[in-house]
Order: sequence, then C-alpha cells, then structure tokens
Amino acid sequence: MIGASPPRVEDARFLRGEGRYVADLRLPGMLEAVVVRSPYGHARLLSIDTAEALALPGIHAVITGADLPPGIARIPCRVPTHGEMSGFLQPVLGREVARYFGEPFAVVIAENRSLAEDAAELIEFDWDPLPALASGEDAEKPDAPRLHEAGNIASRWGFDLGDVDRAKTEAAAVVEETFTSQRHTAMPLETRGLLASYDAARNLLEVFGPTKVPHTNRAILAGMLDMPEGDIRFVEPDVGGSFGARGEFYPEDFLIPWIALRLKRPIRWIEDRLEHFAAINHSREMRFTLTACADAEGRITAFDVKLLADMGAYIRTHGDIVPSHAAAQFPGPYRLRNYRCQAVAALTNKTPTGTLRAPGMFEANFARERAVDRLAAQLGLDPAELRRRNLIRPEELPWNTGTESANRPVIYDSGDFPDVLARALNAFGWDKPRAAQNGPLRRGRGIAVVVEPSAFGPFEAARVEIDVRGRVEVISGCSSQGQGHETVLAQVAAEVLRVPLESIRVRHGDTGLLRYGGGTYASRTAVMSGHAVTAAAETVKAKAIAAAARKLEAPEDSLVLEDGYVRLQDAPEVSLALGEIARLLAPGNPELTPPPPAANAVDQDGLTATSHIRGYPSGTSVFAVHLAEVEVDCETGQIAVKRYLLAADIGRAINPKLVEGQLVGGVAQGLGGALLEELTYDSEAQLQTGTFADYMLPSVAEVPRIETMVIEEARSPSNPLGVKGVGEVGTSGVAAVLGNAVADALGGQTGLNALPLTPERVLAALEETP
Amino acid sequence: MSRRRVDFTLNGRPATLEVAPNKSLADALRDDLGLTGTHLGCEHGVCGACTVLLEGEAVRGCLLLAVQAEGAEIVTIEGVSPESGLSPLQEAFRSHHALQCGFCTPGMVLSLQALLERTPGAGEAEIREAISGNLCRCTGYQPIVDAALEIAGSGGGQKR
Repeated sequence: MIGASPPRVEDARFLRGEGRYVADLRLPGMLEAVVVRSPYGHARLLSIDTAEALALPGIHAVITGADLPPGIARIPCRVPTHGEMSGFLQPVLGREVARYFGEPFAVVIAENRSLAEDAAELIEFDWDPLPALASGEDAEKPDAPRLHEAGNIASRWGFDLGDVDRAKTEAAAVVEETFTSQRHTAMPLETRGLLASYDAARNLLEVFGPTKVPHTNRAILAGMLDMPEGDIRFVEPDVGGSFGARGEFYPEDFLIPWIALRLKRPIRWIEDRLEHFAAINHSREMRFTLTACADAEGRITAFDVKLLADMGAYIRTHGDIVPSHAAAQFPGPYRLRNYRCQAVAALTNKTPTGTLRAPGMFEANFARERAVDRLAAQLGLDPAELRRRNLIRPEELPWNTGTESANRPVIYDSGDFPDVLARALNAFGWDKPRAAQNGPLRRGRGIAVVVEPSAFGPFEAARVEIDVRGRVEVISGCSSQGQGHETVLAQVAAEVLRVPLESIRVRHGDTGLLRYGGGTYASRTAVMSGHAVTAAAETVKAKAIAAAARKLEAPEDSLVLEDGYVRLQDAPEVSLALGEIARLLAPGNPELTPPPPAANAVDQDGLTATSHIRGYPSGTSVFAVHLAEVEVDCETGQIAVKRYLLAADIGRAINPKLVEGQLVGGVAQGLGGALLEELTYDSEAQLQTGTFADYMLPSVAEVPRIETMVIEEARSPSNPLGVKGVGEVGTSGVAAVLGNAVADALGGQTGLNALPLTPERVLAALEETP
Repeated sequence: MSRRRVDFTLNGRPATLEVAPNKSLADALRDDLGLTGTHLGCEHGVCGACTVLLEGEAVRGCLLLAVQAEGAEIVTIEGVSPESGLSPLQEAFRSHHALQCGFCTPGMVLSLQALLERTPGAGEAEIREAISGNLCRCTGYQPIVDAALEIAGSGGGQKR
C-alpha cells in the first residue's frame, strides 16, 4: 500500500457536505460566546461597564479580566527559546493595558451568537490611547513606547562560525542588501472555534475543536485550571486547514472551557473572519540585513546576517522559534562554513506571531537566494551555475551547519543536491536559448534552491487494535487539518498488516483514546506518525504470529501474514484469520493462556499494541529546486506566473497523489505570500487589512498549473519508512524564485528586496534598473 | 424581532422556515434546518464557502436573507449528493484529489454543478471563471479545474 494512491477515505464525507467541523456541533443547553477585543493598538483601559450589556435579555454572563481566577497563569511558551520569555507572555484576558488591536478584554455569553454580538456593542470601555510601537525597527529607540516592564526586546542570539571577516576581506564579489518579508498569516478557510462542555456525572471537561497539538494543549489547560489531565478530554473534529497557525493555545483555549466550567453550560465560540484577522497568529515579518561574499572561482564564502523579527505584542506558544529557524537554517544548501548571524526578536503593538508553513524558511530563502543571484551577476555567472558550484555534495552528507534552533542541531540527513538540480534544470529546459525581450511584456526566469527541515518533536505515539472481526483501528497522536492522514496512516498500517484499506479506521486528535501524542506540525505526520504506526503494527504482527504459532503448533518462522491471515508458508490452507487471533488473545480467553493466570496478566490486552517512538533531534530535510518563468507587464507592474516547476527529493512517497497535493498546494500558498498577502498597520498600530476585500488570497486566476518532479531517492535515515515531510517545501522557495524571476525579467538586479512583490514595487525596481 | 414564515423548495422538497427577517439564508440552513454542509468562511461574501444554488444559479448563502428564499428553489450540497456514494462531479473531485480540508469543497462543487448544468461542455476558461469567487487554501485549484474538465469532457455535467 505504500507508494499507491488510493482515493482518500476522508473525501466522501467532505464532498457530500457531511464533514463535521466545530461550527457544525451543538449540545443541548449550549450557549454561545463572543470575544470582545481591543479597538486600539496600545491603550490603557480606565474603566469597563458591563451593566447595560448584562441587562439585555438572553445574556448569561459578561466576563472581564476582573472575573478571572486569582493568580491565573499567562499562556506559556511551549518551545525552547533564546531568552527568558516570562515577562512577555500573554494574559488570557487583558485588564489594564491593551497591546494590540484585537486583544481580548471581555467575553459575552448569550443564548446565541447574534444576541452576544448585540450585547458586546453595549459594553462601555473607557480607553486612554497610548503611543504605539508599530515597527520592530523602532523597538530599541530610546523614545520608543515601552510595551512591557521587561522591555521591548524578547531575545537576542546569534552564531559566529568560521571566519566571516576574513572571507569578506578576501572576497571577489560582495553583496550588501536589506531584504524584508511582510507580515501575513495562514488564513485557513475555516476560522477557529471551540465547543466546551463539563459533565459532572463523568467529571469530564470535553473540548471539541482543538487541533494541531491536542495533547500539549490539554496539558497547558490542565495546568492553568489546576485540574488532572484525565479530567479533560480534547476532541478534534474535522478541521478546515491550519498551515501552522490554527491549533496553538490561544486565549480562547482557556476562556471557553473555563467559562463552561463556571456556568455549567456547554459554551461554543466560533471566530468570525474579521476577528480572525486580528486574533490568529501572524507570521513572517522579518528584516535581513545581509552581506554575502564569493571568491573569484565562484565559491560562496560567507553570509553575515542581521535579523530583526517583529514578534507582535506578546510572546506566544512558539516563543522565538520562527526567527530562530530563519537564523539557524539561513545558509541553506550551500557548503559554506563562514556564517555569522545576530538575531533580535522585537515586540510591537501588533498581533502576536507564530508559525506559518515553512516558518522562517520562506523569509530566509527569499533573502539568501536574492543575494545569491546578485553574486552571480557580479561574477558574470549563470545563477544556476553558481548554485551548482556551491551545493553541498552527496559525500558531505549528513551535513551539520553548526547552528541550532530550539536546542536542536541543524543537520541535513540525506540527498544528492547537485543531481536534483541537474534533473530540475533539464526538465525545465534552463539551457535552451531564450527569446529576445520585446515590448512591455517581459519574460524572466528564476531559480531558488532550498533545504526544508521537517519532522521535529521528541516523540510520537500510536496504537493499533484488531478486533475479533479482524477490523483494524489505528489511533494516532497526530491531528489532521485536511492533509489526508486518515488515508496515509491506514496505508502505513495496511503495509504491515496486509489487510485491505477498507478494514482500517484511523482516529486522531482525541486525548481520550491515547494518553500521549505529539501532534501535527513541522511536516511531521508522515514521518513521525508513520513511524509510530509502523512500530505498533509490527508489534501487533509479531503478537499475531506468536499466538498463531502456539495455536497451530508451528514454529514462528514457518508462518507468514498475508491478506488478513497468518498462514503456514508451506501449507497456506492452514491459517488463522487476524480476527480469530484477536479472539484467542482477548483477556480471559483460556485457550492460549490457561487459568489460573498470574494475578495481573501484564500485556494480556488482546491483539493490540501501543508505540512511542523517539524523534530525531534534527528531524529530516528535503532538498528542493524551485524554477519559475514569469511575465512582467512593465506598464502596470503586474506579474503573471507562466510556468512553475518544483523538484524535490522527498525520500519516499507513501501516497504520491497526496504528496503532489501538498507540494502544489504549498506553492499556491507561497504565491500568496510572494505576490498578494499583507497585513498592514498604520502608525497607531491599527490593523488596516481586516477583510478578504483588502487581504488578497490567491484565487484560481493567480495560480498557474504547477509542475512537480518528485524524486524518491534520498531516503531519510530518521525513520523506518525512509520518508521526509512534504507539507512545507512547496511554500518555502516561492518568494525566492519569483523575486529572482522578476528581477531577471527587468534585466537588472535592483530592488525587489521587499515582499510582497506588488506592482508598485515592480515599477519602482524598473525605474532603478540601469 | 418578529419571525417571518418562508416557504420555498429545498433540495427538491417543500420546506418552511420561521426566521427573523435579518437572518441569512446560510445561517437558516445551518441552524434551523441542520444542513451544515453549507459552510461559513468569511460571512462577507468573498470566500464562496457558503455557495448554494438559487434557481440553478450559484449564490452566496451569507449575503442572501432567508426571507429572500420565499417561493424559490434552493439546492445545497446535500441536494446534489446521491442517496449514497458520490455524484459524477463529486467522484471526479475525489479521483483528482481536488480537496484537502474539505471546507471550500461544497461551494466548489455547487459552483461547478451550476456551470456544468448550464454549459455541459464547458472549457477551462469557463470553469476557472465559475470558481473565480470560491477560495481554496489547500489545493492550488488545478485539481479542481481538472475534475470539472473531466466531467465537461464526458458530458457528465447533465443532471444525473
């Protein structure tokens, strides 16, 4: 089943409109919540009057900061960071100072959402606006507004590897430029939402709607509520996309369950799109001040980077991991040893930030690859040739960059980068003669080479159970936001257990079914959950063969598992169905375990197994080549992507069709970040892009047919399947390749250092072109 | 707010709503009639997740008031799905991997259903036009276009 592309088991319910997303769930007695948010980027709250709102019929409660349990903790950071973050963490409800537009200050609970919205309008807030800090550049200025007692800088860190200064002195080509990546966000098509309900009879707080890292978030909530984790169950419904942002622990992830406990009523909160713009993690706002050096032979010799990340108003669950990834992975696929980086994570009066598909990498790849094209221009080399000369060679892998992120070393595990590059260039026709430029529509082509890390996290868990009818249940610690994990993990189990896909059910994202779980982030599920399911299924298989050996009185090595039966290799008619073996192994069955057994028969748990596999600290990494051809209208500045080829060595595809879907969808998302999407703030830190009318997602008109070249050669040593994560490598290089292609179309290397590549920026770059 | 009675045809059968006059059709379908296949992605008329068919035309359920359905024929994703299994267009979505998270999918299917009933042999340009008001964040659109092209090429866009 591995390597096949069966249709997804998820699809029928989605196509028929039978998916069950959180907004589709309701419980008897359910009330609805609306979160009331700061209308200012920075303001002191002088007073709050909820009397009029509370007086409205159908209103059950208006919760403000004053109602919170005393000593309630702030939302913790869940990853290692480069500094002490406790002074920058976000409270679940603001009380005195609003630090970003959209910060929660009250929650209205009503019979339904429209009543709650009406009441929200009646809460009287008396705000005293404060000077706002609207840019990371200003955070360190002496007259900058001070956002937190701990200051405006969350962390500083860096690397100084090799001898950057010497490389600069000896360089034949030096590029000094500043590149910026704009603030944008994941924007899943389904907004966030939660339904929380406390059942006193079962002493169980159930929360429907969590995703991404349900087990982690349950632990955070249990800590904040001072409840045993076992009294809380998180259940993931169908989820309409995450792309890294959805499913982190947000203020609402405390507020909604806590209010459900307090009011003893089920509470549902469904975010509307306008609040989503201000409330979900933003990402990508970074500035790279970069010096890149090469010698006369076309060897890239050094990168010297100053990185400034605008973190927004608070440090959230991700700490400084996004700029941390950018800093650690900046050198990319190049074999250089002189690398310096000085990174700063600054706070501003904007929505706090977190991960977004290819976090830190989309940004760093843009800066590095634009600089490499400039080095090529200085050296008079074809940009592909300069890259070819500098790629890490296959015999040099595994390659340790010498950097780290979140206490993990950066090590590229496997691959043949020059071979992938050669194949990609050949498929694209890079060396074919190019037509002369003529008229205002100019063609350009670009290249970007990237390494995308994946599969982080210390462990993953899975459980495989086979019932007496031979039906297989796979319970995974991962979650699913639409990627197709129910199909892929069934394929992985089928590969080991040799049963048809139809007899396998995959469950995920439910803390009630599995004590431990890692979750879905960092393109880790195929790798880590694939590994965990394989391990559990292998144990089940071994159990089945051992039991059959006893029942059939045959040596274990004479037995094989196929088509749902354990058979005698030499006499296939002698067999036991997996369901029959499950019956033999059921607790209390005396056939193989005659009574009286030991008082506690350990592992007498039927034909089941649970696995907890360990992650590779450095994860795994995919090398990819992005190639694009664009047409630039020099009169309007419009960019049309005419051709796009993504070549990637992904190790091994479990389901090639789904791999292709991830790669192509990833590129499409990157197109948005490269060309269209931007969250803008004015000087008072007011969010100016709050609807789909001013924040442009790519529509069918902007996304061309994207070609992929999927190579399955560099198996990952990090897992028994040899697979690598594919969720982010499509997004990772899009801004880089399009920036280079547009610069090529304009015929110069001026400008195009800032994202998104808007018509205005294209025209400005054209103006500067000599 | 006083409620208004709305009589209309829903998925081929008579239906009645008692709703506040300011309630959107999408909210009424979801809350009052339990048809949760109509999704709400933006509630300001841009994303197309709430697309339903009104007299065979793809319209935004979030921008229509429920009372505007009076006397009309409304079809939702539930109405184009066969008793069991999938319609030819739905099957084509499945075989082309034209959906991932599924949230935009009902709207996409309905927009294309409307096109293919009107123009059974629609070409790529018409197909792209038909879904130009439906946002998808997962697929990059091409598999959706390919799924519709398959049905258009086979003439299967006619009513089942």
